[in-house]
Amino acid sequence: MPKTDVSQLSRRSFLKLGAATASALAVGQFIAPPVARAARQAHLLDSNGSGYISTMCEMCVWRCGVRAKVVEEKVVKLEGNPDHPHSKGKLCARGQSGLMTTYDPDRVLTPLIRVGKRGEGKFRQASWDEALDLVAEQMLSIKSKYGPEAMVFSSTHNLSQPLFENLLYGFGSPNYGTQRSLCFNAMIVANSITYGMEEPARDYSQVKYIILTGRNLTEAISTSETSDLIDSISGGAKVVYIDPRFTKTASKATEWLPIRPGTDLAFHLAMINVIIAEKLYDAAFVDKYTLGFDQVASLTMSTTPEWAATLTGIEAGTIRRIAEEFGAAGKYALAHNGWRTSNFINSFPTERAISILNAVVGNWGTTMFPSSGEGAGVLGSPPQPAYPRISAQRLDGVPWMYPFVPLKIGVFQQLRDSIVAGTPYEPHGWFISRQNPVQSLPDRQKTLEAFQKMDLIVTMDILVNDTDWFSDVVLPEASYLERYDPLVPMGNQVYIRQPVIEPQGEAKSALWVYKELGTRLGLADFFQYKDEVDYINQQLAPTGIPLETLRLHGNATLPTSTGSDIYEWSTPSGKVELFSSLLEKAKFDPVPIWTDPPQPKAGEFYLLTGKVGQHTQFGTQNNQLLHKYQDVPRLWMAPEAAKSLGLSDWDTVQVTSPVGTVQVALQVTDAMRTDCVYLTPGFGHLSMALRTAYGVGASDSVLHVTYTDPISGGQALSQTFVSVKKA
Amino acid sequence: MATKNHYAFVIDVARCIDCRACLVACSVENNVPMDHTRIWVYDQGLQGTWPDLSRAFVPYNCMHCDNPPCTEVCVSGATYKDATSGLVLVDQEACIGCGYCVAACPYGARYIDQSRGVVDKCTACVQRLEVGLQPACVATCVGKSRLFGDLNDPTSEASLALKNAMSVTRLDYEGNGMDADPNIFYLNLPDTSSIKASDTFGQVPQSTLPRPSQYTLSEAGWKKVAIPLVAVAMGATFLAQAIFFTKQLIEGEKDFED
Repeated sequence: MPKTDVSQLSRRSFLKLGAATASALAVGQFIAPPVARAARQAHLLDSNGSGYISTMCEMCVWRCGVRAKVVEEKVVKLEGNPDHPHSKGKLCARGQSGLMTTYDPDRVLTPLIRVGKRGEGKFRQASWDEALDLVAEQMLSIKSKYGPEAMVFSSTHNLSQPLFENLLYGFGSPNYGTQRSLCFNAMIVANSITYGMEEPARDYSQVKYIILTGRNLTEAISTSETSDLIDSISGGAKVVYIDPRFTKTASKATEWLPIRPGTDLAFHLAMINVIIAEKLYDAAFVDKYTLGFDQVASLTMSTTPEWAATLTGIEAGTIRRIAEEFGAAGKYALAHNGWRTSNFINSFPTERAISILNAVVGNWGTTMFPSSGEGAGVLGSPPQPAYPRISAQRLDGVPWMYPFVPLKIGVFQQLRDSIVAGTPYEPHGWFISRQNPVQSLPDRQKTLEAFQKMDLIVTMDILVNDTDWFSDVVLPEASYLERYDPLVPMGNQVYIRQPVIEPQGEAKSALWVYKELGTRLGLADFFQYKDEVDYINQQLAPTGIPLETLRLHGNATLPTSTGSDIYEWSTPSGKVELFSSLLEKAKFDPVPIWTDPPQPKAGEFYLLTGKVGQHTQFGTQNNQLLHKYQDVPRLWMAPEAAKSLGLSDWDTVQVTSPVGTVQVALQVTDAMRTDCVYLTPGFGHLSMALRTAYGVGASDSVLHVTYTDPISGGQALSQTFVSVKKA
Repeated sequence: MATKNHYAFVIDVARCIDCRACLVACSVENNVPMDHTRIWVYDQGLQGTWPDLSRAFVPYNCMHCDNPPCTEVCVSGATYKDATSGLVLVDQEACIGCGYCVAACPYGARYIDQSRGVVDKCTACVQRLEVGLQPACVATCVGKSRLFGDLNDPTSEASLALKNAMSVTRLDYEGNGMDADPNIFYLNLPDTSSIKASDTFGQVPQSTLPRPSQYTLSEAGWKKVAIPLVAVAMGATFLAQAIFFTKQLIEGEKDFED
């Protein structure tokens, strides 16, 4: 097993990192951190300094409720908040390990300014004033030389996003990168077209029949939904799990279908064919609430189970039976849209077909509901001026290449490609907050090329991650347990993230950093709050909820707005659009049409990606507690395929794609189809400042070829084909 | 011996998703050294032939036996069965770290914490029980696979789960002419005799692996439990083979620490 040689690393690394010694991994008894002063001052604890502080997890994006247990002024444990809809008293492995992320010995504790070449990892410590003055000066210089659009901004979706948007739009740049085109663009664009909302809510309380298309809920964990799924299985619900790989979710399913990659669309079109042909659909719902049923019926006349069988590798009889069972379950059925569904160039029509399948069985109002979204409507916000008019095109092609992709979502990989190509114009600076494009974007080499073109790279993070490693200035952010964030409403409740622990070193909250930097850029009017507490108080002002209440309980009930009719959809017709006039106008297929996705040549494999329950993407591998309990990240391959290549379990293999090559240990397993390999994602870190994660596993971003779906802008993550040989 | 409380774990194997939240929660709650673990999730590995595969995950830890083999061999009296709670505990002040109990435990549930020279194991988070909380592993279990409660209290979560169970398995150990009478009751434990190499064991540092000992497991139905129940015991050789496999793993050639 590859293991970081910590002692060697610290000799090589010039970084001044956290206070803990490099031997922490070997003997590491966890030191309980002192409780945040603010919590004490707000009397959240008893006279002994013991009690619970409610806040919100940020080990992934699900935002579970946390109650931090404090004993005599020391924070000793994180518990799930039983009053929170996302955690219901539970926390997953990542949530449980949050203190270790905050107290990671590799935390970056002061601003860092690069002193060596980019990628050498040589930095010197700096004060906030020096770092922010330098960043502001460089950004303004880029603005005056090349225009504000020459600064690119990117961040992974989080609670301080509104302030990040103020920073970039206030500055005058249209160039806004998020992570979402590497994730679920296909799903949200398909849902927006069909239902007029990004992601309808799923309700498992009455579900009897579930189809999970690559939705690996027991490893890609969303605590409450994962829990609900297990409850429904225990209660007798039937689960059909479709995935080329036998995952832990497959082990919980009633039935596993090892489908040929890229053919999920054929499967779902065949499902619709049977349900319509055998009249298993909900005619009343279809007539009253949907548009375009006839077009879908005529389109799917030919997409029979027999037709789909040859494409998917699933027997026609099986497809027919599942369609009949799904139809019989009717409104109690649920076809899960999936999440990280942007796997093939045809993922968008696949998602559309899944949306249509749900609609025709009439499950709306039983297993699917309108999503409450992040309707911050009732909360206030500090006053701010209008953004300056921005005339420059967005480098990521939205909307001029990708008319259906929301501006807030964007096409991140296209943004990077435009930087490399220098068209439609050359950017010169990149501000990256809480993001790791070196690990997340496909074709890592190209991302490093994009960095080389930059006069300025600024990053904000809690560790020196792989992207920070190439940064000119690293700004140390307070971890989620050390700071306030803007409030978040969920349904009729509002939740707070508040400091549990004092920020370590010089780490600061995003609210503070954006205001300080914004002020230096002449954008003070976009940050009209004194400090974090003042910002939150301005949010609460219209609600009449005192901050004390929220701090004490972690959540509060918002003044209710009148519930809207759940049978109204924000589509052009106001109905569920099985046929989309919007797509038709843009000259795209208005109903999902089958096209053959590319297939690997002989001797090549589909490279599958996925999730593991112990990590979130690329951000948690340095957490020593998660490291302790993770699997060795390997390349999975079927026994037959391994045999034909003369490979054995634990062999070090070389995996090669058109854009890169990695070496990794092999795992020979029956869990795989013979035409696929799977690489545990999130590893292969190249930053030596990540002393626990460095040198473990390999990164699939090195191998991924960039393929963008023309409608949703999603990156086709499984359309990369690789060859494998003994290293 | 009859104790005031009769604490037991009830673990529904069908609900365990091997997310390992329990492992991390235990590590934090009990400040377990980085190179040790008090509790495990045993991975059965893939069973069957493609595409008809199955795989089960079996959470386990100290079984807090009614007749614990570990207390009998303890020379210092540090390991004892608590007269009130019925939990098997270690007084680490009194422990001399001789390791006899580690060898005696048929379940491999004990280890020597080298940094302190004492034996350590699952305590069912006795410090949490005292303030009315569930053990850390149970409280956070995402799949609600792990339940815990007092079997002397018919309204406890554990009692209710057993009352409604279709089948219950205990992995009992017979040695020295008596049953250990473990207090982990498994629901939906797969009936399997083919234990394959588990990936999970390979991941915790070697020193945290349960130390194997020679033993035989035999099925035991319900004994000394005041809840009438028709128990269908199955899969009793399961853990035996799991631990044999572990032994192979430890004594085998694979070095996880290079």
